[in-house]
Amino acid sequence: MMTETTTPVAPMTSRERVLAALRREPVDRTPVCNPTSVATVELMDLVEANFPTANRDPELMARLAATSYTELGFDSVMPVFSIIQESAALGCKMQWEQKDNWPTVRMNEPIWHGPEDIVVPNDFIKRPDTECVLEAIKILRRELGPDVAIIGKTMGPWSLAYHCFGVEPFLLMSLDDPGRTKAVLDRLKEATVQFGLAQIDAGVDALTLPDHATGDLVSGEYYERYLKDLHIEMVERIPIPLILHICGRTVDRMGFIAETGMAAFHYDSKNEPEEAMEAVHGGIALVGNINNPETLFSKGPEEVHAEVVRNLEAGVQLIGPECAIPLQTAIENLLEIPKTVREWHAANRTVN
Amino acid sequence: MGHIQSLGKRIELVSMDKVCGDISIALYEAADDNGSATFLIHTYSHLDGASVRIAFIVRAMQVLGGMDPVPGVAAGVRFSCGATHALGCRRIFLEACKLASDTDLAEKPLTIFDKKSERTVTVTSRGAGDYGVSADGEEDGRDRRVGAITKGLIKLAQTEAIADDAVRFSCGQTHNAMVGLLLPRALNVRAVMREQEDQAGRGVLAAPSAQT
Repeated sequence: MMTETTTPVAPMTSRERVLAALRREPVDRTPVCNPTSVATVELMDLVEANFPTANRDPELMARLAATSYTELGFDSVMPVFSIIQESAALGCKMQWEQKDNWPTVRMNEPIWHGPEDIVVPNDFIKRPDTECVLEAIKILRRELGPDVAIIGKTMGPWSLAYHCFGVEPFLLMSLDDPGRTKAVLDRLKEATVQFGLAQIDAGVDALTLPDHATGDLVSGEYYERYLKDLHIEMVERIPIPLILHICGRTVDRMGFIAETGMAAFHYDSKNEPEEAMEAVHGGIALVGNINNPETLFSKGPEEVHAEVVRNLEAGVQLIGPECAIPLQTAIENLLEIPKTVREWHAANRTVN
Repeated sequence: MGHIQSLGKRIELVSMDKVCGDISIALYEAADDNGSATFLIHTYSHLDGASVRIAFIVRAMQVLGGMDPVPGVAAGVRFSCGATHALGCRRIFLEACKLASDTDLAEKPLTIFDKKSERTVTVTSRGAGDYGVSADGEEDGRDRRVGAITKGLIKLAQTEAIADDAVRFSCGQTHNAMVGLLLPRALNVRAVMREQEDQAGRGVLAAPSAQT
């Protein structure tokens, strides 16, 4: 257990708690944080903010995002439910889907084929699907005040490359032509930085930076070769805490990730909490790990409780689901996360 | 705006009800003061017509599934035996949600024509929760088909197998309405399972590399 009995920390607001945990400083209790979405179809009904419109209308986006704090008791809100806002703004072909499914990019219809094609338009952050996010953040800050952590999201260049070039063409490029691949990432990173800075201006406290160098397709060596330095640059250019998100088994690159200066790594349930904590050796905070498809979606509060406790016992700094939760997730399972955190701290009376 | 309510354990969800403005409707399981299983049909939607839709589904579950109202709980249903039969209740709920709200409701018969085998299939209550499955026509292939339908009833209604052509409800009570409702689905239980799998895959966000 990483917790230690020390001088109690004075009661914190949710925002203070999240930001302190991202700095790996003592907190009054472990924050419950969702670097990715906790939207569900029932919450959509509750606040009359259905997908797909809630991905495109700032009022609805803010209303649905607020439920994370107002209804579920998380310490943060995160209005960027999907991973497509920037790609839509860049001109990718979209499938907006229905209330009960995620909007996706039609990656089999790529818009670019080489680095020379890439154009991040001058009005990139003024386009409807990026501006929607910025407006939603402003609404959330206005409505929820200063005590709630607002987390934004700006997609990393690797993820954007998948969307704009297609997964297979981009991966083949990375094998055949590292120079062109780096040129692609170099150009796309400007979209990441622009959107991140615009969200800071709008009022976010931290940013999730998903960059899907996922364990199933990309090795740890690839991460170091293509992304580590880029992520260091992101930290230098985006002056608020960044939470890197990569799905899948990623223990082989957690050591590299811990050296980027990112504040936290949002990690997948395919990694054990204890081994993940060991892999990052105190160089970065961890958040996530509560399994989505098997636990939050298919099981009950007891199983959720067990996973939360395991993360708390391992000393994971922020507790939350591993990724955007399935839209059909039962509300009682989500409520169990903050409930367990509070009960655990009450029982242990420790400071993280 | 409403607020989240403590409704029990959610055991089924129709995420988009096509009949009523794509509202989400859930089935919750709880227990009454005596420990008997009760179920609640609930939506968080404030849409016009949502409460009427819920009332229809409750009524449909009572008529088609043979469930009883729960005193004092407008959207509550239960089995008269007091047992859970959660899987059967989920199927009754899903079948009810497929119907338009102006559907004439009537209990389904325990006999059906099976197009696949071109036989009339009959389920007979033998009392004490036991049901036998039989089919008319030539012997060739009949037992196999009856066995498959029996297995279908086991999967859909969570009954116990007591023979290749007979099942039993663990409560020892008859549930004719539920069996009649589920019999058409038991003829092609694979289609039901496929439908469930398709639904389970919706709404789960995959990384770009895992998207098809």
